[in-house]
Amino acid sequence: MPTQTEPGKRAEWPADVLADPNWAWQPFRPDRRRPWNLPWAAHLFRRATFGANWKQLEQALADGPQLTVDRLLKPEADDSTTVAGFNRTSDEFETAAADSIESLRAWWLRRMIQTPHPLLEKMTLFWHGFFAVSNSRVGNARSMCQYVQLLRKHALGPFSPMLEGLVRDPAVLVGLGGEANRKAQPNVALAQNLLEHFILGPGNFSEKDAQEVARAFSGCFVRGGRFRYIQREHDSAEKSILGRKGNFDDRDVVRIVLKQPAAARLVVRRLYRWLINETNEPDDKMIAPLAESFARDLDVARLLGTILRSNLFYSPAAYRQRIKCPVEYALGIVRGLEATVATAPLGRHLAQLGQNLYDPPTMDGWQGGRCWINQFTLLDRSNLALALVSGVKPYEKKLDPAALAARYGHHSPEAAGRFIVDLFLQADLADNVDRIVLEGIKTQAGPDQLRRLVHRVATLPEFHLA
Amino acid sequence: MSRTRREFIKAALGGSLVACSGARLPGLCDRSARAATPGKRRDTVLVVVELAGGNDGLNTVVPYSDRQYIESRPTLHLPADKVHKIDSKLGFHPRMDAFMRLYEEGHLSVVQGVGYPNSNRNHEAAARDWHSAAPGDANCQTGWLGRAADEPSRLQGASRLQGASRLKGAVRLDEASVPAAFIGSGKRPFSLHAAKAVVPGISSLDQHVLRTIPNGDGLGGLGLEQAAKAPRPGNPNRLLNFLQQGTLEACAASRRLRAVAQDAKSAGDYPPFHLAKMLRLVARLIRADVGIRIFCTDLGGGDIGGFDNHANQLGNHCALVNQLSESVAAMVDDLKRDNLLDRVLLMTCSEFGRTLAENGRHGTGHGAAAPVFLVGGRLKGGLVGEHPSLKDLDQGAQKVHTDFRRVYATALESWLGMDSRAVLGAQYKPLDVFRA
Repeated sequence: MPTQTEPGKRAEWPADVLADPNWAWQPFRPDRRRPWNLPWAAHLFRRATFGANWKQLEQALADGPQLTVDRLLKPEADDSTTVAGFNRTSDEFETAAADSIESLRAWWLRRMIQTPHPLLEKMTLFWHGFFAVSNSRVGNARSMCQYVQLLRKHALGPFSPMLEGLVRDPAVLVGLGGEANRKAQPNVALAQNLLEHFILGPGNFSEKDAQEVARAFSGCFVRGGRFRYIQREHDSAEKSILGRKGNFDDRDVVRIVLKQPAAARLVVRRLYRWLINETNEPDDKMIAPLAESFARDLDVARLLGTILRSNLFYSPAAYRQRIKCPVEYALGIVRGLEATVATAPLGRHLAQLGQNLYDPPTMDGWQGGRCWINQFTLLDRSNLALALVSGVKPYEKKLDPAALAARYGHHSPEAAGRFIVDLFLQADLADNVDRIVLEGIKTQAGPDQLRRLVHRVATLPEFHLA
Repeated sequence: MSRTRREFIKAALGGSLVACSGARLPGLCDRSARAATPGKRRDTVLVVVELAGGNDGLNTVVPYSDRQYIESRPTLHLPADKVHKIDSKLGFHPRMDAFMRLYEEGHLSVVQGVGYPNSNRNHEAAARDWHSAAPGDANCQTGWLGRAADEPSRLQGASRLQGASRLKGAVRLDEASVPAAFIGSGKRPFSLHAAKAVVPGISSLDQHVLRTIPNGDGLGGLGLEQAAKAPRPGNPNRLLNFLQQGTLEACAASRRLRAVAQDAKSAGDYPPFHLAKMLRLVARLIRADVGIRIFCTDLGGGDIGGFDNHANQLGNHCALVNQLSESVAAMVDDLKRDNLLDRVLLMTCSEFGRTLAENGRHGTGHGAAAPVFLVGGRLKGGLVGEHPSLKDLDQGAQKVHTDFRRVYATALESWLGMDSRAVLGAQYKPLDVFRA
């Protein structure tokens, strides 16, 4: 068992502990050797949301991990009416804006910043990368709007209804090349894409299965941006899919494929990348307990809960083992400073950094990890962070770190500087790095002092890690 | 090494040489402009210019003495006394005098009869075919240059990593380099579409240079490099090392970009065309040596490009080929000044040629085969392959004899030194166009 209390210090952790699936998925119980502290609380919020503000960190410290995860998954009763109201209003704004993909993008970012239920938005983004459909292929903002609303509706719900909805979603059908599924001309490309990229993964079905699934989908059409089922185009003869025989249609396909262990494994593996670690592919032994239990109830919220409460999640195998995607990078700054910025320019900036919402590069979504990083994206990240906090166009003076520090009672430059480092990095920095970051903060208090410090913090290698 | 270049490197590295030497990404290594065998060297650069809309090859490389040509194009044919004669049969468009000069200097090869069998003559589909290099596969999700960018290790010689001292806890940093870039600000060609890599769009030199809040208080400068360089004791996190190293590379790249931006001499002498502006940017980025190996830009950009002249073609086409020829020649002259031309291969791409016969509106229809232009310092120069016959046509257009993927393989394999099969899905025989 670990003897060290600092999150990132892998050397203190025996490798066999980290590799033991029984230990890995047990709930984390803080103790003297592994206490619940600021770095772990912030880690949880970086993965489960787009980053915490100071109030959330303090609350989480007081509540402990289990209760914090409960609240992230399901906001408490008095908050839940707020959540429902927020989502209803946002849906209305979004639907009204759905004639342009740029405004949709801006509305979604605004929602991510302001939502009282950030885990829901975080998981909506996860599913957007999992069931990745791009507007470059769909070319219809209204369809894209409905598609993301569908993902949000089911983001934390049971998995089957989400998949049932998706296979009849106009954006998904067009995005996978399946807007027409004729009896005389079964659309094997659609079937292939669905099985390979969305449901089972490569190697878990045969060519013959794809042909039969294509026949089962006959009758499904997208006409004028709407789903249409044309009965006379449906091939009602018997099909044989993954060892089952019958007169199947698209809904039956969902039912059949979800019985395949590969379907649960694919979701668990992708969630592992999203929530635990994206550089080391876990072995089957590690994935198996989660995949088996998810296969039994297909309950996404329960699966998320298990991962976010687990020993492995609060271990060096997860801590700072992901690179923030551009959305996480920018919103971490914005949410931490507790304000909203103009999201239309933000959407453009994020696209430049490689994450164009509503337009993932392929059906497999964003590759992520080290692929986010090259010399130019690092320069652009630094310039984006600067633009966000420097108080000039296009983001203006919306973010004001000095005022925030003062609100929390930190008035001297030194105290305010320390507060910023604690807020964004929980002071989890090597002493020498900490000194460099805070260098000069004592001597002078200029008006831009704290803005400059936030920029400095946001360009630290540590800050790029989720 | 030329004076400019030496001065530039001094300026770029400046006082931070120490920081740089500990943090070299492959792309940032100092390289000499010494000639070496193409394909074996690792500092070659490919520049792709997309001619959007389907360039009329017949009025670019003109079969001026062919009766068939003259008779089929009563108003569009270019007169024999005006074209720049390559030989007794072919000549460049009258406004392509700069290409004629490059041709005479041996810097230009014309690959004739390029295309693919059963070409789709619809713009979108044909452009998609050229860009994906997977004709007919509507499901193909990436472009050929994007696929090359997705595998930076394939684009980089291991030799570049050797000898460069690196941060402690050495990590492989191939991924943190930028193998490809779009030059321009409009919609980028699908050819650059990558599954994994983030391919930057660059429209000016200072766009990506690190900015700071103007000085005025105790937190001067960025402290960025200092913080990235500082050791992290007891924290063997490879991702953190990767980001430390990447940050140092980014700082070095920023310095190089700024140095080139401030060096007025590096601006070269270019005509006032958009393409010229973009190629000047390419030349300056090559000088800045930030590790980009593939540049892609376009002429006549947009969805259905400027080369698509179904009516009143003569004037439009004339202006475009003139822009192409003048802009490319300006870049060649500019790169030559600093002995950089030997590192560069430029190629043009266009989705199809055009029909032999003109239509009733002084324009032409969508065709098949067309010439591809290769420009660079290591080419043999001259005509490559036969001019496709005007008597043996395919639905009114010249027939293809050289698959466009052979040209791609030439660029990828013989020039950039990467495995072209991995990008093109099959082995295409590279053309024999380079000097030994």
